[in-house]
Amino acid sequence: MGRLVFRRLLATIPVLVLVTAGVFALIHLTPGDPIDVMMAESVDDSVKANLRRELGLDQPIYVQYATWMRRLLRGDLGRSIRNGEPVIENVSRRIRPSLQLAALAMAVSLLLATPLGILSAARRNTSVDRVGTTFALFGICMPNFLLALLLIFCFGVKLRWLPISGYLDPLEDGWPGLRSLILPALTLGLALAAVVTRTLRSSMLEALGEDYVRTARAKGLSEWSVIRGHVLKNALIPVVTVLGLQLGTLIGGAVITEYVFALPGVGRLVVDAVFARDYPLVQGVVLLIAIGFILSNLAVDLLYGWIDPRIRYR
Amino acid sequence: MRSSAPDANLYRRDFLQLCALAAGAVAPTMAARPASAQTTPKKGGTLRVGFYLEASTMDPHLSGSKVDRQIYHNIYEPLLTLDVKLGIKPGLAESWQQVEPKILTLKLRKGVKFQDGTDFNAEVVRFNFNRMKTEPKSVRKGEVASIESVDVVDPHTVRINLRRPDAALLATLTDRAGMMVSPKVIQERGAELERNAKGAGTGPFEFVEWVKDDHLLIKRNESYWNKQGGPYLDRVRYRPIPDDTVKLQSLQAGEIDVIDYVQPRDVAGVRADKNLVELDVPSLAAFAYQLNQTRPPFNVKALRQAVAYAIDLDQIVKGVWLNVGVPANGPVPPTSWAYDKTIPPIKRDLAKAKAKLAEGGKPSGFPFTITTANIPINVQEAEVIQAQLAEVGIQAKIKLVDAATQLSDGNSKNFDMISYQWSGRPDPDGNSYQFFKTTPGTSLNWSGISNSQIDAILDKTREVSNQAERKKLYSELTRLLQEELPMIYIVHPIEPKAFSPKVQGYEPIPDGMMRFKEVWLK
Amino acid sequence: MAGSIRGSGIAEPATAVARPSLRPAVRGRRWEILRQAARTRLGPLGVLVMLLAVTVALLAPVISPYDPLKQDLGHTLGRPDRAHLMGTDNVGRDVLSRMIWGTRVSLLAGFGSVALAMIAGGILGLLAGYAGGQTDGFVMRLMDAVLSFPPLVLALALGAVLGAGLGGVVIALGVVYTPTFARLMRGQVLTITTREYVEAARALGAPGWRVAWHHVLPNAAAPIVIQASLSVAFAILAEASLSFLGLGVQPPGASWGSMINAGRGYLQQAPWIVFWPGAALFVTVVGLNFVGDAVRDALDPRLRK
Repeated sequence: MGRLVFRRLLATIPVLVLVTAGVFALIHLTPGDPIDVMMAESVDDSVKANLRRELGLDQPIYVQYATWMRRLLRGDLGRSIRNGEPVIENVSRRIRPSLQLAALAMAVSLLLATPLGILSAARRNTSVDRVGTTFALFGICMPNFLLALLLIFCFGVKLRWLPISGYLDPLEDGWPGLRSLILPALTLGLALAAVVTRTLRSSMLEALGEDYVRTARAKGLSEWSVIRGHVLKNALIPVVTVLGLQLGTLIGGAVITEYVFALPGVGRLVVDAVFARDYPLVQGVVLLIAIGFILSNLAVDLLYGWIDPRIRYR
Repeated sequence: MRSSAPDANLYRRDFLQLCALAAGAVAPTMAARPASAQTTPKKGGTLRVGFYLEASTMDPHLSGSKVDRQIYHNIYEPLLTLDVKLGIKPGLAESWQQVEPKILTLKLRKGVKFQDGTDFNAEVVRFNFNRMKTEPKSVRKGEVASIESVDVVDPHTVRINLRRPDAALLATLTDRAGMMVSPKVIQERGAELERNAKGAGTGPFEFVEWVKDDHLLIKRNESYWNKQGGPYLDRVRYRPIPDDTVKLQSLQAGEIDVIDYVQPRDVAGVRADKNLVELDVPSLAAFAYQLNQTRPPFNVKALRQAVAYAIDLDQIVKGVWLNVGVPANGPVPPTSWAYDKTIPPIKRDLAKAKAKLAEGGKPSGFPFTITTANIPINVQEAEVIQAQLAEVGIQAKIKLVDAATQLSDGNSKNFDMISYQWSGRPDPDGNSYQFFKTTPGTSLNWSGISNSQIDAILDKTREVSNQAERKKLYSELTRLLQEELPMIYIVHPIEPKAFSPKVQGYEPIPDGMMRFKEVWLK
Repeated sequence: MAGSIRGSGIAEPATAVARPSLRPAVRGRRWEILRQAARTRLGPLGVLVMLLAVTVALLAPVISPYDPLKQDLGHTLGRPDRAHLMGTDNVGRDVLSRMIWGTRVSLLAGFGSVALAMIAGGILGLLAGYAGGQTDGFVMRLMDAVLSFPPLVLALALGAVLGAGLGGVVIALGVVYTPTFARLMRGQVLTITTREYVEAARALGAPGWRVAWHHVLPNAAAPIVIQASLSVAFAILAEASLSFLGLGVQPPGASWGSMINAGRGYLQQAPWIVFWPGAALFVTVVGLNFVGDAVRDALDPRLRK
């Protein structure tokens, strides 16, 4: 298996080259440049020209890409044009809220989906199942900015139970920090819960149809001990897959949630960087997101193959 | 420009007068005034402010964004300041004298110290101006371009030698170009000043910390030189909340105490809300569209005029801006001394519009594209304009762009009609010169206008120092601009601010900057 | 997952991930048939919803009570009444008319982008599956690269390059969904070409394209259609999310998503601006999900008999 991992990792290199070249080309094709944005109200053309030269923005594209690549191979992701800080620092500052939000969202989804999924499968075609499936459908089909709107309105403005904007670090500020993340975690988590419910339900139905379950039942074991004993473990595997695959999306893709709730996360970082044409920051963040995505996929695949003895790579 | 003496209590009365003036365009605003002259201010508390954007740098010489200025006016101080009527008042300079047209002498306040303990004196002033002119990334270069050199006459007197007469310089010194930064901090910290401004200013508050993307904290300066009237607050905490709706909701939910701008659509609701206090602050800003004179269709003056006559300013200000703003007659805002209320904004006249269309060779209309920023109110306004123009057969297409693309299109003159928002400067020069003076190459003169008459007036306004004379010149300019139409001005927005009822003592100055020295919490 | 552009992406993550080396577990038949029975009630319902949406879109000029662009600044944010069944928006336009015309835009975004993805992904998947070796490796690396690319950045950048209109969004979404279809097609090619009758056909000298046409495509049709219906649902939701950032149909045109975003600021004063397009969005997406589920259950060969 070690060889497999190594081969997979090796294969990611051309992928990353493609991703970075792609985003480089794309972002340089967009009209506008970071100097214009930073100095919008300034009349000083010579200052702008100087800055452009200093940052190497006057060079042809392939030269700029080669320079960036060379720096990258030395481990230097460059500096943000907007605030002059190293890209790595910008990202590491924003990764914590994103990770915390993702973790909470997954926790919320598991909390909701596990009982619903199990019950729906165990009591299939009854009203419980109907409720579970409806809930799952609801979560998948609801646009999340709409959900965020409603949650803010209901819990933040009308009931005033929870804060609606801003971020406090739960690791530093404990309960207030957790409170600041509840509404955004619910927004993301409800949709995720819907997916997990469906996955859990269908994988449980599959597992419940297995021969060994029939045997266990024939032996007289109760439904619940059957589920608890064998079925759940096997049924959770696809759930792990789904959650793992969603991790990358949760971190880089929770942009709208981060915007609406004013959370300083990685999603907003990259979108703001695109709007500001902050080339090094866009490059760096996209690369890191891609690496994260690939690694989490690899981890899920390995976990999948390891947990389920029936599944082996050819 | 003459020497003057300070009169600190005049501005409170003037403010009431100013609001009475502004009330002509806006419904009752005074009912919700947070200030209360009778009760005694209390020391203490943290004021939580919600802004739509984050600051970009703490170095006033390198700053190009409007949000930075909000914070600067609390931790730094300029040489001169503004009163409620946008008149020039003493700041760190006690008095000034225009000895000759090209020499300005400033007498500096004695006994002022920077928050890091160093003295404020003439040498500091010279150091600061030098930095503005020579620092490679300085954004103030253009603003102080008329300054040739600065001499230290004695520890509390500076002489500024000008390259040419500059009537607008005094007003420029009330903002970032006049802000004094501690040389010790600059020398010791260098580029780190952009993120850490501890001890760098002389203002009523001092910088504490800036946690990027989260909050910026300033605290009361206990050794501030002017303890009269404040500062009372312990701390002020700025938070960026990019979403307007969420920003207002945060205020409603009690998570923050102040927001810098209430969208026109929310103003009525905020006024009706008994738990909030709303204050209309007339601003220097202008909302306009630049018309590209360097290519068809708007290289033809008659067609520009046709569009101007077909647009219904009153309907836009009423229907889109919900009267949170005043229809504009040109670049000079109503809050300015140079405003000429005898010149009306261009009135809609469909007959004239059609006549101009015929004159321009397009009697049945013509197509063009409106490039506008992707902000809800811009979108709405563009939609309304599109419908208004359609009534005379002009087919406008709307193209939404993000800020970077808008700047790029504007700078490269790749547009027909492009939206332009200018935050405004206290001196009318700052609202006009760079937009209308013939300028080769890239500049803020996006329309590409090159009119010798306009050029002559613009130059004269800088040479002439008598305010009455300058006002006449600006009236002439406004009339010419309504004729030539490099820009179609729509509205001078009012910037409504909203507060929690705990906030007391806020006195707005029409430059839109929120100064918290006199604010206290109940 | 609603809201992220890619959605949960794959039809049934546990089984439809078309990696030929992973064999899905054999299902118990009894449970599958029952599930199929439970769902067929909803399948036709979903089809009905889709037909309704398509009909509305096609008949928009006929059934729309007002011109969706006609403003009435004297009657903004009007409550729903007999004249305006769903009220008016912030410049006085009739919400019902805008919703009807918006159906066209939303459906176009959904079907257009998925059509693009199906064609591009299908071709790439066929190519990879057939050519094998280096080509396969390259194509799959390319698809991995697209998958690892943050979809929002792609949409934003394309929007800035191509102009912010609907075209950019359709292309961006098409690119984002291509890898899913490519993988699906490739998996089908690999599974089917290893079947004995296909190997026999090839041994007998049948050309590759013939095999593709007669054997691969018909078999691939099922999972692709299932995936397509779900992707259309996500694409419609994604278009709504992208309008939040200013991408998609340009004003004064409307899509359900852009109406929701424009109406967001008026939630307290005029909730109908958000409610009706939101409901339309929700119902359509739910309908698509029903269809997808029903198609999968009906066409899944394991469930037959």
